[in-house]
Amino acid sequence: MTAALVAAPARRGRFAPGVWAAAVFLVLLAVAALAPGLLAHGSPNDADTMAALQGPGAGHLLGTDANGRDIATRIVHGVRPSLLTGLGAVGLAVTAGTLLGLSAGLGGRVVDEIVMRAVDVLLSLPNLLLALVVLTILGPGTVNAVYAIALYLVPGYARLVRVQVRVIRTSGHVEAATSLGLTRLRIIRRHILPNAFAPLLVLVTVEIGIAMVAGASLSFLGFGARPPDPEWGAMLAAGRDYFSVAWWVAVFPGLAITLTVLAFTVVGRRFQLRLEGRTA
Amino acid sequence: MRTTVPPIALAAAALLLAACGGGTSAGAGSPVDGGTLVYGVNNEPINLDPHASPQDVTASFARPVLDSLVALDAEGRVHPWLAKSWKISADQKTYTFRLRDDVTFSDGTKFDAEAVKANLEHIVAPATKSQLAASWIAPYAGTEVVGPHEVRVTFDRPHAPFLAALSTAYFGVQSPTSLRAGPEALARRIVGSGPFVLDAFTPGKGVTYHRNPDYRWAPEGAAHQGPARLAKLEFKVLREDSVRLGALTSGQVDVIASVPPANVARVRADDRVTVTSRQAPGGVYSYYLNNQKGPFTDVRLRTAFRDGIDFAAIVKKLYFGVYAPADSPLSPATPGYTKVDRKYDPQAAARLLDEAGYTARDGEGYRVKDGKRLTVRWPFVRAVVREQRDTLAQQVQSEAKKLGFDVQILDLTQPEYLERVPSGDYDIADLSWQRAEGDALGNLFGTASIPTAQRWGQNIGRHSDRELDGWLDAALATTDAGRRAALYGQVQRKVTAQAASVPVYVYSAVLGVRKRVGGLAWEAQAFPTFHGAWTAKP
Amino acid sequence: MRARRVAVRAGTSVLVLWGALTLAFAALHLTPGATVDAIIGSTTVGPQVRQQIIDDYGLDRSIPAQYASYLGHVVTGDLGRSYQLHEPVTAAIGARIGPSLQLTLAAVGLAAVTATTLALLTARRSRVVRGLASGTELAGVSIPVFWAGILLLTVFSFQLGWFPAAGDDDLRALVLPAVAVAIPLTTMLAQVLREGLERVLDEPFVLTARARGMGDAAVRLRHALRHAALPAITLLGWMLGMLIGGLVVTETVFSRQGVGQLMLGAVAGKDLPVVMGVVLLTATVYVVVNIVLDLVYLAVDPRLRTTA
Repeated sequence: MTAALVAAPARRGRFAPGVWAAAVFLVLLAVAALAPGLLAHGSPNDADTMAALQGPGAGHLLGTDANGRDIATRIVHGVRPSLLTGLGAVGLAVTAGTLLGLSAGLGGRVVDEIVMRAVDVLLSLPNLLLALVVLTILGPGTVNAVYAIALYLVPGYARLVRVQVRVIRTSGHVEAATSLGLTRLRIIRRHILPNAFAPLLVLVTVEIGIAMVAGASLSFLGFGARPPDPEWGAMLAAGRDYFSVAWWVAVFPGLAITLTVLAFTVVGRRFQLRLEGRTA
Repeated sequence: MRTTVPPIALAAAALLLAACGGGTSAGAGSPVDGGTLVYGVNNEPINLDPHASPQDVTASFARPVLDSLVALDAEGRVHPWLAKSWKISADQKTYTFRLRDDVTFSDGTKFDAEAVKANLEHIVAPATKSQLAASWIAPYAGTEVVGPHEVRVTFDRPHAPFLAALSTAYFGVQSPTSLRAGPEALARRIVGSGPFVLDAFTPGKGVTYHRNPDYRWAPEGAAHQGPARLAKLEFKVLREDSVRLGALTSGQVDVIASVPPANVARVRADDRVTVTSRQAPGGVYSYYLNNQKGPFTDVRLRTAFRDGIDFAAIVKKLYFGVYAPADSPLSPATPGYTKVDRKYDPQAAARLLDEAGYTARDGEGYRVKDGKRLTVRWPFVRAVVREQRDTLAQQVQSEAKKLGFDVQILDLTQPEYLERVPSGDYDIADLSWQRAEGDALGNLFGTASIPTAQRWGQNIGRHSDRELDGWLDAALATTDAGRRAALYGQVQRKVTAQAASVPVYVYSAVLGVRKRVGGLAWEAQAFPTFHGAWTAKP
Repeated sequence: MRARRVAVRAGTSVLVLWGALTLAFAALHLTPGATVDAIIGSTTVGPQVRQQIIDDYGLDRSIPAQYASYLGHVVTGDLGRSYQLHEPVTAAIGARIGPSLQLTLAAVGLAAVTATTLALLTARRSRVVRGLASGTELAGVSIPVFWAGILLLTVFSFQLGWFPAAGDDDLRALVLPAVAVAIPLTTMLAQVLREGLERVLDEPFVLTARARGMGDAAVRLRHALRHAALPAITLLGWMLGMLIGGLVVTETVFSRQGVGQLMLGAVAGKDLPVVMGVVLLTATVYVVVNIVLDLVYLAVDPRLRTTA
């Protein structure tokens, strides 16, 4: 295709340094999630009042919080619950949302109606109500917050996938493939899925951040991760009380979230380009 | 019927009063007549009617509008207010009040004996669904109108805390005309005879008042007499700590409630703002150990938990010295408070744990007995937490681990909590209980106050002791202040000896005040009153 | 044919409303604790008062009976009275819908304009421009709204004094909360829009347009935007519905009245009539927005007309 050829030189470069940096950061995150002990000494929950709110420095690289806990240690140990919130919620939502969207977009009119009305019902409830009710039923905590956040991300994906599928299904190359006699499953796999996924992928990388931030907002309302779990969103929410006297309590967990979102997006975008390079 | 006072005379009078008055804030210069004062608060009432609502914040919102029959000073002495005088019968069951005859509610209704009767009847009526006031006069039998300005209140049994209860805003006298409007109307609008008149209460935003120009009946001994100095008063709801603080330092509000302790030093350093605080009366913020079920039925374990953790040091550090470490179940601001000595002694605590059979430690360092870990469960509702109590709890959890306790903080929602506590299925529960009356001890340690499925109570330590109940009843049956103080002293010493609870810190109301503001005073329940306040707007 | 489509649409809309109400009713009854305890809270009341509360709200009836009676009342337009707020549900919502709607529209409008501008300016531009844009957007998305609010207040209210810290009385007070809410929305919209634009800019018809001598700006505005807008519009519609009842954090930080605050309290206090009232409101908004959206899709992308 002409367009792809024109765009190719800009798109298919070698890995840029930014991509490398992001990839390395993600590997570090993986290590921290699997074996936090390798990257930080001590327990993230060891409180020492006498060392409370110390600034970043030699003793504590990133300072200490109001309980005198080392923030660097807590950030490292916080990778696991934080990624659980971000990746878990989005992963759950994408899976469920894609299945719903595909069945609605590809199924007959009746399937479409049933699925979309169910999605409508879910979507018509304020997401906050969904989250609060889920957390009131299941109790506050990281894992339950994942369900709550996923539940309100699902309908968005379902709708997006459905709209994409419908656009692609009626577009030129699917019609061409159909006329060439390709099987339905093959068309879905080769043509519809990759094309429907491209805009989805943009949303996914962004929504990993949104989900982590939603976790922080739930902590703000008192429903997020269970203290003393060092989940970043919860640390960020707790740090606001000390912002004017101890900025580091909130800023470093916030930075951790930003960098993680950034890394996922950079790597995600690269992955997306490859995906398109293959299918276009 | 507005009387005009020459402005010069008014200013002179104000100056004179300021010279001998008991305002809390300094450096505001001379009093100013007129103007608007904005008070940033961290919370708002669900229901404005203090007869029905149990919230502290309801009392503080209702106080500008409502006067009481009597007033309580900082030393716990009772003064005349809408009642000129009173007599208590020899059997201590009947109170006869002579009322002022020159008082008018802001809706024009006259204040008289019928009004007092209407108010007390309103408090005890089931339709009011009173969640606090009615429980403070539980033995109430009835009110009799003796004359137009004389009224007699009787009880089934002696009830010494009656006058102290009457002095609170929960017993604020409302216009009988307004009371007839019913609970739903009262939840949004109350009418009284106070120095201010309510304009509008908008949930989520706050409340506005204007001055009652006819006000001539401030309590005896009040620093300011006559109508309020402020033309307008506004309470603005600013829930988020940093926002409330920023609104104060940027001059958008004049006074704020609840300056976060971490920020007190910084606010003090700002030369446009001061910080003033007052200890709240009643039960201090304490950890109540379940005396009825689980490991804390053993007094050795309770004592070890209380004395093996340096609560005083934690409190001083975490609250930057703003809240005092508690040295009794009662706050020093409570009538009948007695300081009880106890000291931090981790060695003694360890010995007690050994004695109780928890000699071994498991892999994670927790003590075990017969292979069972020393685990205590602590239900906690994070969504409604105040004063960084969650941070404090995490600190205590960490310190308790050194002692060998595995403290499990159970993260509950409010409905779960409300279901769990009456069932008694917990080992620690935390509470502070504001009440300017020694009988707070009865709420906190009396057998009748243990929460059950039928009836909530504040005795969440589920402490039950017949001798103690006897002392508490005896203290209700006498109005002799010395005798009551002695009885409450005994109670405080005994619950301390039994380690029924772990007193943690004394809650103080901490106000941030612009220096242009003067004439603030404190209600006995530790919230500010604005009758004599002024603000010199730049 | 057209009339039949409208009838089906109306039918499914009612179905969605009913589904939302039923789901919310069931979910609220799954939350732990007895309603009467939630109403009383941690206060001391006698058995008389307790019974009064149970009688007043009919809490001793079976759950199906309560459900049936609630639906019956809703059909006749009666949403009931709040258990806790001492006012009818319609009054409670009525007092708060204005500020919520204001903030929602302001934030979504701001986000739509900013995101469109950003996407148009940065799509298929140099690496530096795109990198800068994505970087800013990512920083935007990783800041929770309460933090954005606190930071905005610190700078523009407490330091510079341009805007009031709280309230919903005038338009000045709307600016900071609208910006705080719009930040993450802008990010999402801009990403999706740029992605769409870049796709469309590769399409043959765009090349044809360029070949005919059409300027870059005109290509972007007249051709690309229209085709790239579809997923962004889906997102916009979703935001509108989501925000009306979902602004609780912003409302808390900026001390605004609103439906979110109302609902937070109602869920915690098991104030069923209020929760159901809010659900009915947001579901209605949702249904209406979607009907509008479907019409917009048809207008924007003629390709859909064949299947819709």
